[in-house]
Amino acid sequence: MKIRSYKPLLPLFLIYALLILIAVAVPGMWQPVAFFMFYVALGQAFNIFMGLTGYVDFGYVAFLGLGAYGMAIAIKYFSSLGLISILLGILLAVVMSILLSLAVGAVALRLRGAYFAIATIGVNEGFRYLIEGVRLWGGSEGIVLSGLMRRTFGRETANLLSTFFSDILIIAIAILAAMTTIWILNRKMGYALLALREDEDAARVMGINVTKYKIMAFITSASFAGLIGAVAWTLKLTYVFPEDVFNIHYTVEAIVIVMLGGAGTLLGPVVGGLIYGVLKYYLSVVFPGIQLLILAPMLILTIIAFPEGIVGFIKKKGKKSRISYYLR
Amino acid sequence: MVFAENLISNLFYGALLGSIYGVATMGLSLIFGVLRIVNVGHGAFIMIGAFTAFWMFTLYSLPPVAVIPIALVFGLAIGFIAFQAVIRRLVDAPELSTLLATFGIGIFIEELAKLVWGADYVGFSWDIGTLYLGPITVSYSKILAFFCSVLVAALLYLWFTKTKLGNAIRAVVQDREGAVVCGINVNRIFALSFSIGIGLTVLSGVLVTLFVPVGINVYMGGDYTLKAFVISVLGGLDSPWGAFIAGFLFGLFENGSYAILGLIPGVEPFALTRFVAFAFLLIILLVKPTGLLGGGE
Repeated sequence: MKIRSYKPLLPLFLIYALLILIAVAVPGMWQPVAFFMFYVALGQAFNIFMGLTGYVDFGYVAFLGLGAYGMAIAIKYFSSLGLISILLGILLAVVMSILLSLAVGAVALRLRGAYFAIATIGVNEGFRYLIEGVRLWGGSEGIVLSGLMRRTFGRETANLLSTFFSDILIIAIAILAAMTTIWILNRKMGYALLALREDEDAARVMGINVTKYKIMAFITSASFAGLIGAVAWTLKLTYVFPEDVFNIHYTVEAIVIVMLGGAGTLLGPVVGGLIYGVLKYYLSVVFPGIQLLILAPMLILTIIAFPEGIVGFIKKKGKKSRISYYLR
Repeated sequence: MVFAENLISNLFYGALLGSIYGVATMGLSLIFGVLRIVNVGHGAFIMIGAFTAFWMFTLYSLPPVAVIPIALVFGLAIGFIAFQAVIRRLVDAPELSTLLATFGIGIFIEELAKLVWGADYVGFSWDIGTLYLGPITVSYSKILAFFCSVLVAALLYLWFTKTKLGNAIRAVVQDREGAVVCGINVNRIFALSFSIGIGLTVLSGVLVTLFVPVGINVYMGGDYTLKAFVISVLGGLDSPWGAFIAGFLFGLFENGSYAILGLIPGVEPFALTRFVAFAFLLIILLVKPTGLLGGGE
């Protein structure tokens, strides 16, 4: 293990540190930074699968949704355990999203390109309508936890959980996801995934077990998604509705972030997530109601002008210079 | 007996609605077949058609059937602009770029429509009488919509098989390089196919309004996008004719299973029907990715 290969973490942690500093030092900035960090974490998690393998999972939000349900179920049925139920929720969220990723991985990962994208949409929508159709976990009425959480944990703890603790956890997930990404990139798995992304058939012929690495990336990415859903949705918002947590809109946001920053790069999702989060937040303040009208053309322009994303573009320009040590 | 009558009237309604689904999916399949682009913003164009019908009816009291040619021309224009502005630059780009670009176009159109028309649900009803036939009760406007969609599909089929341009499009679907070698201007075919695809989709939005009396809204498209995905996969993804027949089958399936699933106590038949549809989609993708009606590749 070489220290040099972990140098790209430096600019990344610098950005994280700066954000945390802003959140703590500037009054009123804690919630906005938490909002940005949600998108950074989402981008990081999605990048591990989409960025590294090149497969577009349009149903990615299903993992976040299942994670959100995992946390909600744990709090609802094990609230007698007190705060241990939160830990249980995190565990359940990861286990449930891993189980789904195994099921989806076994069937949908055989497909490629547009067929894979459509199949994953089918999984996501199918799951949502199954929950609503057979009235699983409260059906379309969802699970509302705010009253229960106030009663079991006490008003102050419940408040602290949703306005402080969940944000801290999101930051922790973002850091963990970044470290996982560079760990994968520096190992055999990273090179195998790179080969698979460029040409899957050629990689297979070269003797790379593509199925194994694809599924590994898929499971890793899905478990991070489950964590984000559990923490950023259930714990923070204290409710879960199938209509919200399986909304394809979040998948698209994740894709936009990864594309904007640069798919398959370490720093890309952070840059993309920050740009997207900041724009979305401040555009909705300055131009309430029409922020999407401004974001959509920007998205199209980015795709046409920088197909490799911002970090991908800088990486290409600075290939020979010293900057390349810090970019991955 | 009640169930049988219920099923019959549901299936009849499903057949009518299915023909609309068919036309609403042909554009998606045409664009995928020719350009290999999945138009993720598909539903936004259906929404445009629905609003066109609504405004023409409210402002000039034009019946939806008369709006069909207007919507087609309007759609062709939008499609051409979208192609020239964005899609033209992305024809050879990786799949991801086009998925995102069409998504961006869809959002842009929706938000623009919201700015112009507001976010409220609107609707209109064009009453030209109702047909009573045994257990079946259906308004004539829906039957007329059915005939219109069959006519549109038939005209398109004739155009594709009997004209030179139509044959050129089919050649590009089959083999892009081969078509270039034969002297076909592929870029022009791309522009034409994209415009026709969008034109058809906007047109189908007019027909949709006859089935959703108060469901016209700037965000109505998402639902149709998902349905169109299921239908186009069923029809083989790159064949407009497959899509038309698949849409017909989907309408029958959707409304038939609604009647059947409604018999199970304690479930919501509406949501469960959708679940069955998506489960079905996955099975088809796994067993026969070229579609139930498509040929082998």
